[in-house]
Parts: sequence; C-alpha cells; structure tokens
Amino acid sequence: MPAFPTTGPEEIAALDKQAEAILGVFKARGYTRHEPAILQPAQMFVDRSGEEIRRRTFEVTDPSGRELCLRPDLTIPTCQWQVESGNPYPARLCYHGLAFRHRPGDGPTQFTQAGAELLGLEDRAAGDAEMLALSVEALRAAGLARFDMKIGDLGLFSTLVDALAVPAQWRGRLKRHFWRAGYFEVLLSRMVAGATSDAERAIDALHGLDGAELHRAVEALLDKEGDTPLGARTREEIVERLMVQAADGAAPRLDAAVAEIITRVLAVSGPAPAALEQIRTLTKSVAAKMERPLLAMQARLGALAALGVDPKSVRFAAHFGRNLEYYTGFVFEFWSRAAGAPIEIAGGGRYDTLMESLGAPHGTAAIGIAIRSERLLTARRGGK
Amino acid sequence: MSEPVTLAIPSKGRLKEQVDAYFAAAGVALKQTAGARGYRATVEGLDGIDVMLLSSSEIASALVSGDVHLGVTGEDLIREAAPELDGRVALLKPLGFGFADVVVAVPRAWIDVSTMADLDDACAAFAHRHRRRLRVATKYAQLTRGFFAHAGISDYRIVSSTGATEGAPTAGTAEAIVDITTTGATLKANGLKILEDGVILKSQAQLAMSFAADWPDPTRAFAAVLLARLGAKLP
Repeated sequence: MPAFPTTGPEEIAALDKQAEAILGVFKARGYTRHEPAILQPAQMFVDRSGEEIRRRTFEVTDPSGRELCLRPDLTIPTCQWQVESGNPYPARLCYHGLAFRHRPGDGPTQFTQAGAELLGLEDRAAGDAEMLALSVEALRAAGLARFDMKIGDLGLFSTLVDALAVPAQWRGRLKRHFWRAGYFEVLLSRMVAGATSDAERAIDALHGLDGAELHRAVEALLDKEGDTPLGARTREEIVERLMVQAADGAAPRLDAAVAEIITRVLAVSGPAPAALEQIRTLTKSVAAKMERPLLAMQARLGALAALGVDPKSVRFAAHFGRNLEYYTGFVFEFWSRAAGAPIEIAGGGRYDTLMESLGAPHGTAAIGIAIRSERLLTARRGGK
Repeated sequence: MSEPVTLAIPSKGRLKEQVDAYFAAAGVALKQTAGARGYRATVEGLDGIDVMLLSSSEIASALVSGDVHLGVTGEDLIREAAPELDGRVALLKPLGFGFADVVVAVPRAWIDVSTMADLDDACAAFAHRHRRRLRVATKYAQLTRGFFAHAGISDYRIVSSTGATEGAPTAGTAEAIVDITTTGATLKANGLKILEDGVILKSQAQLAMSFAADWPDPTRAFAAVLLARLGAKLP
C-alpha cells in the first residue's frame, strides 16, 4: 500500500456499506453515536496513555501555541465527553471515524475505527458478555464469517501476584511489566537474586522498627537531606513508599519457587479451556484466591459459546496484556487469516481506571471494542 | 571551487577552542574568509574545503538534514537530532574532548529512589495519586523517550526545557530531569542526584559525516584529504 493512498469509489462504497452494518448493530443494542473532534489537546493523551504515545502521535501547534494532536484513538475523547456531559450511567456510546498513528518503519498512518464503549455498568460479568456479543454480532453483520480470538486478563495476573508471597514493594512492578517480554524475565531474576540499590540499602537501617517508631526513623532520614526540592512529589509519598519497603524487612528477595510459578503461569498459552485448567493446576497453592478470576474467565467463555463461538477455538494467553496503557482487566482481539498472514481486525477490553482519571466517580467500570475498518474489508475480500 | 566539501565547526565557547587546538595539532589551519564576519573560513593549503561556523546544535541538525557534509559537535546533540542514527549520520572519530554525560537526576530528598526501577515505581505511584504524570524536564526529549522506554517506564511526561534544566524541580516545573553533566556539581548544588543506572549516554565531541548530503566524487576526494590529516576516513 502506498504511504499516502487515495481511496477510490468502489473502496468507499464497500467501506460505507460495512460501516452501516456495524453501526446498525451498535444502534440496535442502544449505543448512540458520537463524533469527537479530530484535533484534540495533546496533553490529554499523554496524561492517560503515557509519554510513549508521543512516539506514535502526530502533534501540531496551533498559531496561539497550544499543543494539539490528531486523535490517536477515539476512546479517550469519547470517555471524556461522557464525563463532561454529566449524563447518567451506564452509558452506551459508539463512534466511527479516522484515527492517526505513526508507526516506525511503515504502514498506513491513518485508519478508520468503528468502536463502542460501555461505561459505568457495575455488573462487570454482564458488561463483558454484552461487549463480546456486540463485537461478534457487528463483525458477522459486516460479513466476516470466520475469525480467531485471542483473550487474556490483566486482573488474573494481578490477583496471582497479590496471592503469592511477593514482597509488597515489588508487586506493582510485576503487575506493570508482565506483558513486556525480555524485560520481565530480567526483572524477575533480579528479584530472586535480591539485587539491591542504594535506596533499598537505606531501608536496611529501618529493619526491625514498626509503627510510630518506623515513621519517626523515616522522617529522620528525610530530614538529613535538608531543604532540598521534591518537585510535586510530596514528603508523604516518600514516607509511604519507604514504610512499605521497610515492612518487607531487610534485603527482600523473591522466593525462587514463587518466581517459578509466575514464569510457568505466564507461559500458558493455548485453547482457552485447557489453558485455564493448566493455570488452575499451577496455582493450586493459592487456589481460593484464584477462584474468582478463573470463574470470571469461564463465564466469558460461556458467553462466547452462547454466541456460537467454540471456546476451544479461542486462544487464551496469560501474558497477553494489550500494550496500551489504560487496559486493566479482560482483554480480547479478533484476528483473521483469510488474507494469508494473520491480521488483527478488532481489539478491546476493560479499562476500569480511565473514567476515574477523567473525573468520573471512583470505580466507574468501562469496557470497549474498536474495529479496524480497512483491515476488516481486506480480510473479508481475502476470504471470498 | 566546484563541489567543495562543507565542514561545520562550533562558532563559540569552550568547544570552539578545543576544536581549534585539535585542528592545529593535526596541521589543519583555518583562515577566516574576508568579509564573512567569522562565520566562514577555509583551510590553509587545502583546496575545496568550505568551513562554516555554527552553533553546536545547528551543526547536529545540519548533519541530519544534509546541509553540511562533515561536522564537529557533541554526540549528545547528534543523537538527539537523529534518534535512529544508522544511515543518516556516521560518527567518524571521537575527538577526546567535550566529555559530558547525559543523565537522569531526581531530587536528593527522594531517598526511596536510586535506580530506574525505583523511578518506575515512583512514577506509577505519582500517576495514581495525583491523577497526572510525573514530569521530566529536558532538552533531550528523544534520548529520554528511548531510554525510559528501554527501562520500561511509561507513566511520565516530558516538559521541554531550554535552559537551567537543573533548576526545574526547585522551581516546581518538573519532578525529575534529564540533563548533561560533567562533574555532577551543578546537579548537587541544586539538590539533585544521578540515578545509579541513570547514565543515558557518555558523550564527547565527534567528527561526523552526513549521509543526507550529496557526495559527488570531487567532494569525496576533497573530504578524503582533509579526513586523512585528522586521522579519519570516509566509510
């Protein structure tokens, strides 16, 4: 495909027809269409998705000096609109329009997305089932007869880390990086080796203290640095983190057996029912705590079976985290092999903290899907 | 002169003095071009060399865009101007002066942070608590993004800083910085410390060539003669 393609009449007609079918399904299920502005404040995306998104975003400065960007996705502005509108929850919103992303190397830099967001439905199991049904129905209505699914759950791994004997100060690190192949293995082996830094050695001095005594000792350590800047990071934040570290005791280490469980769980990948069974076996030592996320995943497979999608055809990958920063739980992707090499046609998942970061009430649940229109059309044509 | 080779060197400051001394020791004497107000020069006894005196950062971008054939400037500036260096600019020879490290520094009072992994934790906690990303002030946005991505840190944002970056945490415009340092004294005076694994680049002055510039044979020939005197050669 050329770097700056021009879409011809046949292509336009095919894409329009496909969009009509998808939007028809969204509408029938109560999703109202909104079109966020193409130009958005750049900061909104950096604040939600992290600085890394800048490497993939087209930024422009308006004549008054404001930093704007071509929207790299429509989810964040759609959620933002819902928060600002003050409309009641649950809200069902959908969109169809262009998104823009720079991809190092090559590939198109603009593409059309048809997406839906289900915001503020407290019953997460019902939300998951609704979004799966909506996605499958929309793809079928668009004319895609066959697809492969890949699913994962960031919540399942998070529960596992909390259940296992992992030093409290390292739990966040493991949860944030489990999907980052290469980096994660190094992180894990450093924890097993008990590799410590200056800061961690400073904590050694606090070992054995607790409660008010510990708090005083931490404050004293801080006072030793005198009147130096903190940035916007407060003294409390530093004290808090040191208290967590001190509670783990001197020279924390990750038990090699625990690391082994983590490594083996993350390696699980395959037909979903068997994969879940494998995880159940591997995590027997903390079975009670793993019951909830495993049952939730089973319920999702049940929902898929009811839609005529055989759970055995769905691949569950424990390390699958969708590498966009705002996902927090269940994630899924639809793939097609109709055009030769497999292509990702749609993806979505649960992002239960994004709404709150935009100003919604604490714990506002959210799940969504985005379908890549041009890829879907390619797959449909390749399959015929 | 037909198709001369253009060489950009620093127009002022300590780096200019060091470049002049280095060239003189290699037997390359610069002669100011009359009427050029010190912005242009030629090399005594060598034909086809057009010397331009530019600021260090202009030299880096001129190498990337192909506006000059050769240039002498800091490796930090070249790598910042061209994040993917391969095929754009070749570093021909490190010159042994202009040493400086590009480092990640945080407030010394952050006694719980001494490595990039600690900073990663602090960034995540900061984002959770303040509902916005921890700010890193720098003029090295590209180097910072690459290094932070490699360290697996994404919960931060860059605020661009054009001068006195080390003062940003005190001024309250950023929490951490990425900046250049030689002895670390300025950072220390501003209540900052360098992270144990926070050295992004050990930089020095480099003799570099631009792949984006046109390189017809006569230009290559002129360049080869100059580079031979400086102990370097074209790739």
